[in-house]
Amino acid sequence: MTETSAEPGLTPRRAVMLIIRRELSERTRQKSFLISTGVTLLIVLAIAVLPGLLGDDGPKTYDIGVVGAGGAPLAEALPRVDLGSDVRVTTRTLADRAEAERLVEDGTLDAAVDGDAVVVDEELGGELEALVQLANRDVRAQQALVAAGVSGDQARAITDPPPLRTVALDPPDRERDDRRTLVTFGVFFVFGQIFGYGFAVASSVVEEKASRVVELLLAKIRPRELLTGKIIGVGALGFGQLVLFMAVGLAAATASGSIDLPPGTAGAAVLVLGWFLLGFILYSALFAMAGAVASRVEELQNTSSPITFLIMAGYIGTVAAAGDPGGAVARVTSFFPFWAPLVMPIRMAAGEATAGEVVIVTALVLVTAVVVVRLAARIYAGGALRTRGRIKLREAMSDSART
Amino acid sequence: MLELSDVSRRYGDVIALDGVSFSVEQGQMRGLVGRNGAGKTTAMRIVLGLAEPDGGEVRLDGSPIDDAARRRIGYMPEERGLYPKMRVTDQLVFFGQLSGMSMADSRSAAGQWVERLGVADRAGDRLEELSLGNQQRVQLAAALVHGPSLLVLDEPFSGLDPVGVDVLSDVLRGEVDRGAAVVFSSHQLELIEHLCDAVTVLDKGKVVADGGIKELRTRHGGRRLRVQLEGKSTAWAEGLPGVTGVHADGDGTVLDLASDADTQAVLDAARAAGRVESFTPLTPTLAELFREVIQP
Repeated sequence: MTETSAEPGLTPRRAVMLIIRRELSERTRQKSFLISTGVTLLIVLAIAVLPGLLGDDGPKTYDIGVVGAGGAPLAEALPRVDLGSDVRVTTRTLADRAEAERLVEDGTLDAAVDGDAVVVDEELGGELEALVQLANRDVRAQQALVAAGVSGDQARAITDPPPLRTVALDPPDRERDDRRTLVTFGVFFVFGQIFGYGFAVASSVVEEKASRVVELLLAKIRPRELLTGKIIGVGALGFGQLVLFMAVGLAAATASGSIDLPPGTAGAAVLVLGWFLLGFILYSALFAMAGAVASRVEELQNTSSPITFLIMAGYIGTVAAAGDPGGAVARVTSFFPFWAPLVMPIRMAAGEATAGEVVIVTALVLVTAVVVVRLAARIYAGGALRTRGRIKLREAMSDSART
Repeated sequence: MLELSDVSRRYGDVIALDGVSFSVEQGQMRGLVGRNGAGKTTAMRIVLGLAEPDGGEVRLDGSPIDDAARRRIGYMPEERGLYPKMRVTDQLVFFGQLSGMSMADSRSAAGQWVERLGVADRAGDRLEELSLGNQQRVQLAAALVHGPSLLVLDEPFSGLDPVGVDVLSDVLRGEVDRGAAVVFSSHQLELIEHLCDAVTVLDKGKVVADGGIKELRTRHGGRRLRVQLEGKSTAWAEGLPGVTGVHADGDGTVLDLASDADTQAVLDAARAAGRVESFTPLTPTLAELFREVIQP
């Protein structure tokens, strides 16, 4: 057959690349992967588009009738009333009270003013009441002023003074708030991706043990190379999916008018993706350990439950941070390396994290990642070839022949 | 050429290997036999770097074995394992590449092996869709795809039907003819006797017999005699000096001899008892030899 064309030069880098390639090509070919990506995309689209369709359906319009020619000043005054909100008023002149009642009753008009009475269907309330009463007051006041000898223009100036100027001591930064909202959404996806793809690393480790293929793999390459390739391969897929979700979500939200992207959206996206990478490295290494000490898929539930608790606790911190990014809970949880990847991006987007804090937390997370990955490599090396029974952590560590 | 010298390994209180030495030369097929737990699998896993020896050395082609050298080995573990959901060709190409081959070389070798092993029509299927027999063939192809100079096969014949046994035997002979060194373990001693040039018998972690099969059988020969006498009586042999056991079977009388027995004296006694039709020193089969060398 083929003569020994095997080069002894399989570099560690090429070994890792081969593992990454296999993970990517096998996973993307799975129907379940394509389906779950599709379903998640639909959910992303729904979340992105619905606010645009439901929430803000343009200015509110009131149709108001005015009875008789005597109502003309009122009809003129009604659209000019400034309620401070986006309200549009249309008016029409009605022949008599009977027509007013008929049109209000069948819903053509929201209200109709006949002299000193306003006809409504059930009750006059909210914006409509303010609108009608203010317009009526202005008109009556002007008429009274004109009757007293004040010119029409002056009367109008008196009844319609310029509105007060606002001097806000701590004005809200809408763009920053928008960015924070976007990042919060992003972080929830990061949570899902870290959890989902971290678990994928664990189950992939166990599946290789259960199918015993790991023995053949480790006869060719080192455990360290296999683990590295697996984490990068699975992580790249999770990262790619996250980018896709974010891109589609932002595009759909913009197109449907749900949000106007604030300046700095790209920066916010990079922030979220960067923290995803850090978080994924941490958690996938932990999940790899959970896989290495289990020998069957059913045991994974048990060995991974501490990690599940850890990330769920981080999720609580995330919810707290989303509600109050400057609060104590957000601040404290953002310093814990396993929670920082979820909490820190929100604090940063909200402008609540100082540059010093960002540096310290990033350093903490990086150091933790190095420690966890090393530990995972040892435990994986010791546990990967033990395909029978649950493995004690200490055994796995002392049994690691080569990593 | 693979050489194990004085390799030891213990697991807790259990001594798996105790100063084991044997070698496999290029163009040689060596059988590894022994009861369950004798240390065969441990020895193979140490060769593959899947277990570390406590002492001793493994050399391949004269140098201490390392990762690069190990990638030249074709290995079939006792517990078969490939990716159940991966397609046959993809799987073989992947393992070829992990052994250091280029994608193109890997592809062409994978194509040749699925053809040769009769699974070409299933090459695009997922492994789990194949019958167990065909999965075994793919497993063999995974061990061979990179043209290894050494094959280490743990119980390669177990679970094979007679056709599968023939296919595997042919393939192994072909590999040996190509110049590869082959070592495999098996409980099927007739098969080893039939296929192998040499055998190593392990018992309780120690080598209790080692050498060419013919040589071993000759060396352990002469300890038994088959004598065919007219009349088929066995009484003449009872109590003869140097005779430790007498059994009659359809073809005459088989005598077990002590190491210092005088066969000429036995022949004289036989002739005195009647007409001797045949007098044959027996060469033990591998199975008999095996029973002789391992402790009960």
